[in-house]
Amino acid sequence: MSWTRRYGALIRNAWLIDLQYRASIVLWMLWGVTEPTIALGIWWAIAGDGRIGGYARADFARYFFAVMLVNQLTIAWDSWYLDRWIREGELNFRLARPLHPAHEAVADNIAYKARTASVILVVWLIAAAAWPAVRLPLAPGRWAVTAVAVLLAAAMRFFISFTTGLLAFWTTRATAIMELHAGVSLFLAGRIAPLSLLPPAVAGVAGVLWFRYMLAFPVELLTGAVYGSDAVLRGLAGQIVWLGVWIAAYRVVWTRGIRKYGAVGG
Amino acid sequence: MAPVVTAERLTKTFRVKVRDPGMKGAVQALVRPRNRDVQAVRDVTFAIEPGEIVAFLGPNGAGKTTTLKMLTGLLYPTSGRAEVAGFTPWTGGPECKRRLALVLGNRQQLVWDLPPEETFLLNRAIYDIGEAEYRERLAELVGLLELTEVLEKPVRQLSLGERMKCELAASLLHRPPLLFLDEPTLGLDVTAQEAIRRFLIQYRDRHGATVLLTSHYMQDVTALASRVLMINRGRLLYDGALGALVARITRMKRIELVLGGGDGGRVDAETLAAFGEVKSFRFPNAVLEVPRDEAPATSARILAALPVADLSIEDPPIEEVIRRAFAQGLEEEGT
Repeated sequence: MSWTRRYGALIRNAWLIDLQYRASIVLWMLWGVTEPTIALGIWWAIAGDGRIGGYARADFARYFFAVMLVNQLTIAWDSWYLDRWIREGELNFRLARPLHPAHEAVADNIAYKARTASVILVVWLIAAAAWPAVRLPLAPGRWAVTAVAVLLAAAMRFFISFTTGLLAFWTTRATAIMELHAGVSLFLAGRIAPLSLLPPAVAGVAGVLWFRYMLAFPVELLTGAVYGSDAVLRGLAGQIVWLGVWIAAYRVVWTRGIRKYGAVGG
Repeated sequence: MAPVVTAERLTKTFRVKVRDPGMKGAVQALVRPRNRDVQAVRDVTFAIEPGEIVAFLGPNGAGKTTTLKMLTGLLYPTSGRAEVAGFTPWTGGPECKRRLALVLGNRQQLVWDLPPEETFLLNRAIYDIGEAEYRERLAELVGLLELTEVLEKPVRQLSLGERMKCELAASLLHRPPLLFLDEPTLGLDVTAQEAIRRFLIQYRDRHGATVLLTSHYMQDVTALASRVLMINRGRLLYDGALGALVARITRMKRIELVLGGGDGGRVDAETLAAFGEVKSFRFPNAVLEVPRDEAPATSARILAALPVADLSIEDPPIEEVIRRAFAQGLEEEGT
């Protein structure tokens, strides 16, 4: 099986490189934990002993632990890599190989996610042992649906990041566009607050566009905020539609960009 | 034999943004961006037979690397066509890429933080090379390139020469019949340059590979290439043997003398100037330049008239020939 071997070798390489930089692993982990912890701290203080938009302190805790995990499982850094590959000519040798550069990016994502998410999972398990508020009910069905939603979200965020990175074929500001997207998703994807706490118009936009399906929907599935086959199927359908849209966008941008490519440097 | 690489009227035009210097220029570029078309390669046509080693010659920005990148499918041409190992390179896909290797002197595929062997293993998987073949090919490349000592050191600790050798090994594990090398000896010391040249010839002889390379070092060209493609400002100026190019550009030969004998000290520059143009004179060595077809006769006259310990007839240094060729803007008119 040459594809298993190829992916095996790519993932192995990604891990070997990671192991060279233990400090950076710790920094990335801290980054992944800090943002949801700060958001949780704020909502914890605001909620006090009451409820905000149906969320008590324990609900916020569960929500942001789920955000921490799902975000690490779905985040994609590819636009930064692609921007460098294109602007500095590192795409050249990748184009000369009989392997589409996207495969290396996918393998890097798998390697990164397996590494960071497994640590966060351990952190969560330790927290849950000591703190009942962040425990999740044992519900294999829900976990399975969540796994599918996480996979779809990861695929979609990969194509968003990869496609945005490809804009470096035309502009030197591809990463700035990705930063803008990250800024918007802070609110619209549910990273800073559950979507139900946003003004209805804003939450509506998040649900019509792809933002909710990037993060908030799988998080809500995991915490049980979304339930019932109707709501679950609607959410999954939204994910599939937007994944399709981003794959189509990727194809258009790749085919046009590669013709535009200047292959800078040697 | 059918050619393994053909280029027909290959043309690449880049659109580049232009702006005037200073704040005013920056604002103008923002409000009304201006573009200029730069023709990097114009109507380049040639064909390369299997087993040939061909060198691209030309100053920086001549279009050598752009041509190489089109032939390896990295760049789409603006017009014209090319065929490489039976494929159109930019649409040939994986099957085409398996048949070629691209080595870029200043952009490397070796994973910086890991020993080179990890890149080799990665390429084994990417090119789908069987275990036994991999072992055999790696042993051959390690032997020819003398890599035993460096396989386990992280790439960042290797010297430039060691890195280039590993780069070649990584690019040749799938044993491609076609090698495209862009400045493979760039920045290397003389020993490393020679090792690379020796290896390329051995590899060609063993596997019948076709090699197309660009280089700034004339030694690369004289040692390796049976044929040169001279390119300047995107145009192909000359396609043929190096010797024929030299004969064509320079109508002169150099007579190098070592004066000797008892009266040697009495020979002065003025005496020498009677035989030809004195390029240098520092007793007992002298270099004269004379018209090509008169070289034998002049040599005979020098031997008869002067106390000569040694005399040889040479072509002018190849660097000078090439410099002169580009300065004269040699145009190839329908060979």
